[in-house]
Amino acid sequence: MALMATTAYTQAKSLDGVTLTIASMNDGFSKVLTELAPAFKEETGADLKVEIMDYGTLLTKTTADFVGDTKGYDLVTMDIVWAGAYAENKYSVDLTDWVKRDAAELDLDDIYPVALKSLGQYDDHYVAFPFAAYANVLAYRKDLLEAAGLKPPASMEELVADAKKLTDPSKKQYGFVANGQKGPAVAQDWMQYNNQLGGSILDKDGKPALNSEANIKSLTVYKELFTEAAPPGAIEYDWGGREESFRQGMSAFMQTWSVGAAAYSDPKVSNIVGKAGIAVAPVAAGMTPQYGVGGWGLAINADIDTSKQEAAWTFIKWVTSKKIHKEFNMLGAGGFMRKSQMTDPDLLAKYDFLPVIAQTYEHGNGEFRPRIPEYPEIQDMLGTAVNSVLAGAATPKEALDKAQEAAEKLF
Amino acid sequence: MPYRFSDRRRLFLFLMAAPAVIYVAAIGLWPLSQGIWYSFYRYNLLRPARTSFVGLQNYVDIFTDEATRTAILNTFQFTIFSVGLQLIFGFCLALLLWRDSRFNRAVLAFLLVPSTITPLVVGLIFKALLGADYGMIGYFLSEAGIGPRTGLLTDASTALWVLILIDCWEWTPLMTLILLAGLKALPADLLEAGTVDGATAWQRFRLLILPLMLPSIFLALTLRTMDAFRVFDSVFVTTGGGPNDATNTLMMLGVKEGLQFFNVGYASAVGNVTLLFIALIATVLLLVVRRADVRINGR
Repeated sequence: MALMATTAYTQAKSLDGVTLTIASMNDGFSKVLTELAPAFKEETGADLKVEIMDYGTLLTKTTADFVGDTKGYDLVTMDIVWAGAYAENKYSVDLTDWVKRDAAELDLDDIYPVALKSLGQYDDHYVAFPFAAYANVLAYRKDLLEAAGLKPPASMEELVADAKKLTDPSKKQYGFVANGQKGPAVAQDWMQYNNQLGGSILDKDGKPALNSEANIKSLTVYKELFTEAAPPGAIEYDWGGREESFRQGMSAFMQTWSVGAAAYSDPKVSNIVGKAGIAVAPVAAGMTPQYGVGGWGLAINADIDTSKQEAAWTFIKWVTSKKIHKEFNMLGAGGFMRKSQMTDPDLLAKYDFLPVIAQTYEHGNGEFRPRIPEYPEIQDMLGTAVNSVLAGAATPKEALDKAQEAAEKLF
Repeated sequence: MPYRFSDRRRLFLFLMAAPAVIYVAAIGLWPLSQGIWYSFYRYNLLRPARTSFVGLQNYVDIFTDEATRTAILNTFQFTIFSVGLQLIFGFCLALLLWRDSRFNRAVLAFLLVPSTITPLVVGLIFKALLGADYGMIGYFLSEAGIGPRTGLLTDASTALWVLILIDCWEWTPLMTLILLAGLKALPADLLEAGTVDGATAWQRFRLLILPLMLPSIFLALTLRTMDAFRVFDSVFVTTGGGPNDATNTLMMLGVKEGLQFFNVGYASAVGNVTLLFIALIATVLLLVVRRADVRINGR
């Protein structure tokens, strides 16, 4: 009896009896979070409950929780593009002072600035803390390029030319694949290309500039790639369909988030084991390199009690710490963001494309999808506009003019 | 005294009905009135600070915005053609299955299979079948050079028609079932008398069966029309309203505005417009059928 009491005493942890509930996006990291929960309990005594949802459900349920002040979730995985809405409505705890206080413990210098800024901050305040950054990269087929005597493209112009060269519908072989499906899928992929071709969604004053000359030009190129080099069904692909077509061996080039790269060498889901390469995404000839960065931050629900908020902050510090975040990626989360991870021998042995990700983060741009409160609507307008161009229902100028007109009403 | 008795009886009935009345008011009338109230506001849950009273502006927007007008027209096209085709197919099948035999009973059982699958799953099945790259039907169509290269669901000229046919596949059996029940309830002696009097099959159909079937037809039409007008699941999973806005419907619009953008004001207005349209259609259907009834049956 005395022994049991002593054991209980020595095992008492700072967060005994606390349960933290995370609303998590169903991505590579969600399963890993559940796998890490026992270790967190072991160290702090707190239980971690991970509720995994798809993107739409996550947004709906967490917004309902914030708006209704129902305290359903303590922590929320926040998509980079929600930062504006979080900041404007004060949904999450402002972490700025805590980050300053615990800067040494957080080892901020080891985190890429682009991740710190775009995954966590809005107007110089931390609405979330970076948790899983993704790099936009170019996945390509080494074997097809080699057979055609080509090297991975150094510019967007080369990418377009090579994609056309590698297309042969009679062999069901296509040069290029991207999201074509109406909605966020096509909007986000196009915004990515648009950024690499020098276009931008907002002008210098932060007002919408959807129908700028550069944007119209880049949409023309995008349409050309779809008609001349993409699989016929690409117009209805979203992220899953796009990755599937690459893994099945139908497409030679695909721009994608680094998070999918591990699957190309998994024989259970991939026909192209050993044939896929990862390179930095090309930009237009003569342009200063800037690569797309996206991903997720962890935000603390502002409605919950102060003690819970601090427990949640303990979890954030724990999961983003050097040691645990490495473990997190060793388990396949796919969200690298610390500089030390890029040279870590264990991680490099598992993911040989880390140097490409490092280069992407060094010249990263987390703003190519504007992180403003109006983003969801702008994304939808672009999703319809770009899709209508791909479907042949409008010219790039017509579609973007119409979207611009609608976007202006939001501001 | 009878006077007092009736008073108490009224009180008793009122108390008996009260729970149901309160329940319906709570879950039906309250949200409905809230929905009407919200529809006069520009109110977004993500931007509560910018809420403002806009009067009828949301309704004006619905009817002046090109995308919304397309959605309304698509909804009407979908409803008219899918319910129309289902009525024709359903009537033909019901006539074929009218005679009671073991074979017919077996066919009827199989016929009901599509209606037992949720529309969401039906959408996913057809999306998988029709896909240009991996779909079984899509692959053969594209190999044979029939239809658009990118697949039937991704071409603006075919997508809505494909959705109409998918709806027919799923719901014709229900139409058949309702009409068959109507046929079976027809007075046999009357039809026999028609045969004895030497009426041809067509005359019997036009002058006896059709008029007597009017109540069943009305029921089937109303049920299916209200359902088809609210089409959402199958569109959501197959085309998401695309390509462009070719398959956008009122419900798609409402869900997108309400649950994706949290535009509560505008979404409420879309919901109210949908409700008004459905009420209007039901009224028109009722009037048409009553007039037909009067003309044919003389009452």
